[in-house]
Amino acid sequence: MLKLIASRLVLVVPQLLIVGFLVFSLIYLVPGSAAAMILGDAANPEDIARIEAELGLDRPFAEQVVNWFAAAVQGDLGQSYLSNRPVTDLILERLPATLSLVGGGLLVAMLIGVSLGILAGTHSRRPVDRGVTAFTSLMQSMPEFWVGIILVLIFVIQLGWFPVVAWTPPDADPGKWLRGLVLPAIALGAGACALIARQTRTAIAEALASKYADTLTAAGVPRSKIIFKYALKNAMIPVLAASALAVGILFGTSLVMERVFAFPGLGTLLLSSVISKDFPVVQGAALVVCVIVIGVNLVVDIAYGLLNPRARPQ
Amino acid sequence: MTLRPEPKTSAVAVAKKADGPQSGARRVLKRLSRKPLAIIAALWILFIAFCALNADWLAPYDPLLNNFTPEGILQGPNPAHWLGTDENGRDTLSRLLYGARVALMVGFGSVLVAMVIGVPIGLVLGYRGGWADRIGTRFVDIIDALPGMLVAFAVIAILGRGLPSVMLGIGLIFCMNFARMARAITLAERSKLYVDAARVSGIREIAILFRQVLPNLAGPLVIQGAILTGAAIIIESALSFLGIGLESSVPSWGGLLGAAVRQQLVQPFFAFPPGITILLTVLAFNILGDAISEALAGDSRKRVKRIKRRAVADPSVALTAAATHASRISGVPTEGPADPDHVLEVRGLGVSLYGPGAPVPLVRDVWLGIKKGEVVGLLGESGSGKSMLARSILGLLPPGIGVTTGSILLDGREIAGARERDLRDVRGRKLAAVFQDPMAALSPVHTVGTQLTEVLHAHFKLSRGAARARAAELLDRVGVSNAAKRLNDYPHQFSGGMAQRVAIAMALAANPDLVIADEATSALDVTTQAQVLDLLLDLRDEFGMGILLITHDLGVVAEACDRAVVMYAGEIVETADVTDLFDRPRHPYTAALLASNPNAESESKRLAVIPGRVPLAGQWPDGCHFANRCPFAVEACTAGSVPLIDDVRCIRVDELRLEKVAP
Amino acid sequence: MTIETSTAAPETTAPVEDRALLVVRDLRVAYQSTRMFGRKRGVEVVKGVSFHIGAGETFGLVGESGSGKSTTGRAILRLIPSASGSIEFAGTEVTAFGRRTPLSYRRDVQAVFQDPSMSLNPRQPVSDALLAALKRHGMSSRAERWRVAAEAFDQVGLQRAHLDRYPGELSGGQQQRVAIARALVLKPKLVVCDEAVSALDLSTQSQIINLLCDLQEQTGMSYLFIAHDLGIVRHLSDRVGVMRQGELVEVATPEELFTRAKHPYTRRLLGATPADHPEGRERRREVRAQWARVHALEEELSDPA
Repeated sequence: MLKLIASRLVLVVPQLLIVGFLVFSLIYLVPGSAAAMILGDAANPEDIARIEAELGLDRPFAEQVVNWFAAAVQGDLGQSYLSNRPVTDLILERLPATLSLVGGGLLVAMLIGVSLGILAGTHSRRPVDRGVTAFTSLMQSMPEFWVGIILVLIFVIQLGWFPVVAWTPPDADPGKWLRGLVLPAIALGAGACALIARQTRTAIAEALASKYADTLTAAGVPRSKIIFKYALKNAMIPVLAASALAVGILFGTSLVMERVFAFPGLGTLLLSSVISKDFPVVQGAALVVCVIVIGVNLVVDIAYGLLNPRARPQ
Repeated sequence: MTLRPEPKTSAVAVAKKADGPQSGARRVLKRLSRKPLAIIAALWILFIAFCALNADWLAPYDPLLNNFTPEGILQGPNPAHWLGTDENGRDTLSRLLYGARVALMVGFGSVLVAMVIGVPIGLVLGYRGGWADRIGTRFVDIIDALPGMLVAFAVIAILGRGLPSVMLGIGLIFCMNFARMARAITLAERSKLYVDAARVSGIREIAILFRQVLPNLAGPLVIQGAILTGAAIIIESALSFLGIGLESSVPSWGGLLGAAVRQQLVQPFFAFPPGITILLTVLAFNILGDAISEALAGDSRKRVKRIKRRAVADPSVALTAAATHASRISGVPTEGPADPDHVLEVRGLGVSLYGPGAPVPLVRDVWLGIKKGEVVGLLGESGSGKSMLARSILGLLPPGIGVTTGSILLDGREIAGARERDLRDVRGRKLAAVFQDPMAALSPVHTVGTQLTEVLHAHFKLSRGAARARAAELLDRVGVSNAAKRLNDYPHQFSGGMAQRVAIAMALAANPDLVIADEATSALDVTTQAQVLDLLLDLRDEFGMGILLITHDLGVVAEACDRAVVMYAGEIVETADVTDLFDRPRHPYTAALLASNPNAESESKRLAVIPGRVPLAGQWPDGCHFANRCPFAVEACTAGSVPLIDDVRCIRVDELRLEKVAP
Repeated sequence: MTIETSTAAPETTAPVEDRALLVVRDLRVAYQSTRMFGRKRGVEVVKGVSFHIGAGETFGLVGESGSGKSTTGRAILRLIPSASGSIEFAGTEVTAFGRRTPLSYRRDVQAVFQDPSMSLNPRQPVSDALLAALKRHGMSSRAERWRVAAEAFDQVGLQRAHLDRYPGELSGGQQQRVAIARALVLKPKLVVCDEAVSALDLSTQSQIINLLCDLQEQTGMSYLFIAHDLGIVRHLSDRVGVMRQGELVEVATPEELFTRAKHPYTRRLLGATPADHPEGRERRREVRAQWARVHALEEELSDPA
């Protein structure tokens, strides 16, 4: 078990290094000098040089990368050009909202997706299966933010069931926090559930048509046991992979969903800093999101090893 | 360790109309044209393309024409503006029509970018293999795991807004998807046997890549391309909604949606036209992608009719009973209660495939009896129907196939066409099965102990400890050493022979009266096969259950069986005691099989041969199924269906002396 | 119980070897299993195998799974590299070829693989494989290629109409005939048949075996006939080699092998091979039970648990 975790952790390190490197190098791909952009049109060469020295932008590239990494590992992601506040603080302020969105969306996606998948898989090629496939196709074809907009139109504006200000920090008022999360989670989950539902359906249908299902059936094991204990566990592996994929997608769509529901999350931070070319914030936020996604993939990888005995290191 | 594949025993070898030498693409298009949904989807996409191309004369207004007056802006639908106006008074319908251009350009453009970047990477990784592949794949995985939106943000941050950066950004999001796909397909193709064959012929590697591997890429690329085009449209709309996509003056569906959100309190209708258009277009691409995918996969995914449990017809209408009015056929009574000596009686059984047309018979007029403690061999080649017979006894017929006539009596109780509920009493306790491939027959993610105790728990009230003890006993009895410890192992930790012993232990767990071994040794090595057969015989000696040994191997019949039943093209052609079968075959097919047995002792190097092929279900000739290959056939053989005459399905059974048919 | 090494195999003396078409000496083949971080660990699958095949001769190579027989065949076909040892074909040292295999070798040494539905590209008409091979070997005229391909089809008992069919439209036996035609069309000197009949039905097996015999009589080519079934091999082979876990434990003529087998493994294999008649089966079962009792420990060691 420990061997499994250790082997997976080892593989994550180069991942983090590469991603960090890519994120950091972003600003060097931008034409023109960052300092010039900060100072604006009225800048003269001496001011630009001074700012560059201040921000450490005149150092050799390799040195900057290393410095940035060293600082990042200790939790220091630099200062925002615009507000001069530490990037880490800015990000930490925004993280709860984003995590709530992604978490809520994942929960809804998995609940709906796995249930629909089991339903479709156990009735493979019959009308129920076709119905589920049609439903998931529909879900996949809708822009999530549009679903969000429609939900707001109906349930917030027309019916007034949910508060107009959707976000409340969880420590302030847990009940309100949950209520505010319902609509965005549904909007996010509806899109991501299609992926999970399809994978689950295929995996369950295959498991039920497999030779081991035949063996257990012929030996007299009840069908419900075969579905929920044997087919499901065998199906879990591709389903987990789909869920990991869904997390990556959810991070992306949650960035957009923040606009619809006015959630103060990383998305809006990222957006504004991209527009204003506030690079430390862009780098820091991007890095944090990537680290979280890599972390989730790591957890899934380990779970995969636990579920699939053949994937464990011998 | 590679196990050799079994001879072609497809589950149902039904004759299909040959498609003819059409090229792959034409075949796919033909299949697609039969799906109404796909046609509608294609038409919608064509319609959108038409709008995009001809927006100039289709649009009632200039999309950039402002009408910034209080009454002009944010109108709902009205005769002058069918879909209303936006916050600048611009006509929504016109902007929607022009927006189709952006949508299609972004959709196709980004997919093209993704393919151009991703496919070559995937091809190189898959073809080179080795360490380059290992490192490259890691890289691909890392990039693919990044949230797509971030990548798009990054590209736009660097290159600024506009169509090219949107296409590049979205293209980058998808490119690793294509790389993965190209790599997987290339890897799969590289290890195909026909690639080896081409290499042995001397064909150059490059030629192999282009001729053999690349064509397999076309289909999946089209499918994935269709689906991702839809995804690209959604992502573009998200970027425009956020305000970092295209410039706000350029009409795009996402931009319209973005504006709609800002105005949702004032003019809620505004959100619907762009949203629905996006929905319909993306849905159309998804449907098309799915339809192409199904068309490529062929008719294996046809819709399946659910077989209602039908009332099983009277066995006395079956061919032999009706023709001969015998009171017993092959030792089995035609009517009345089962013979008390028999563990299993099959009376006049018929099994058919229910498809779009008339039912196709797969098995016909089967009469079979197995006594307690008897080992009966069911011998047949592929297409003989022996697997279908086994599955009908076990109640494991695939969807679409059902029992049409006859009875199956297990310890006197009717189980043909029985419901799951009724079968549950019988399975495991009276009837058990061991299948061909032991590795596939055990769940790979559960320990052997879990599966063994599962069976025990299904039949006996045992505590967990008692169940484990009993499971260890069972494993020990079938010859697995270190049984208690081995309960915690997974199936892949056993060799083929050991895994088969585990499967046998599972079958025996509830002390069944009859065990059906369906090609249980075909996938095993010769020495292991002998061990498993010897084990089955030992267990029969100890527990006295009947065994139905289904096989295509004459040697298995010779070594292990007391009686033999020979099947050909869905019918039983001969039943006899095993020594009689080998010494004095009475059906020409049996004799021919014996003579062409490569294992047989014979002086000449040449083997006797049965010319021709086995007729597939659906193509059975009238009369004797073997007549067109039989050296003794006469005209009467093809006149009408042949019943079993004294255990042999041959009208010339009394005339022929078939010992040692010479080559 | 001693395991005979390859050097002690009862092989013939030098003069016969000199005349032989194919001489394999101390061949070793290993599979590399590389890990991301760590040294390459090679697993030796063929451990020093030596035998020879004369012109017009059939050498049967028999073994169970894991014996290395297919790997030996693939090494001779140069589909996988050999780790060490020598393969001499018509006087030329094959292992010295390096990465590129000369076209002449690709003409002289051909193969028929096990599963014809897999060894023929399902998306191309069956004639394609033959035509491509002929073109590669310098036959530039299209008409000429078609003529030769049609002749090859005649030779294997197929109709000319079959040339345009796709593999899926042919039966297993017909597909294998196409595979044989593909091997034939280059007029090879040696054909490696890797389990060429194992995936076929009983009645088709005998047809194909007869066809292979006939073709050998007509053309004088040699066969390396790889199989897991002693019974099949005995019909075709002039000599038989038995492999076990990478080693060649015995070589003899079929007759010697079946009546006076020397190596214990060969005898065990024979004892386990199903007979062609029930007679004497009780005795065979008893003998196997005795062996099992005596060798119970050895079996446990050979189990990959």
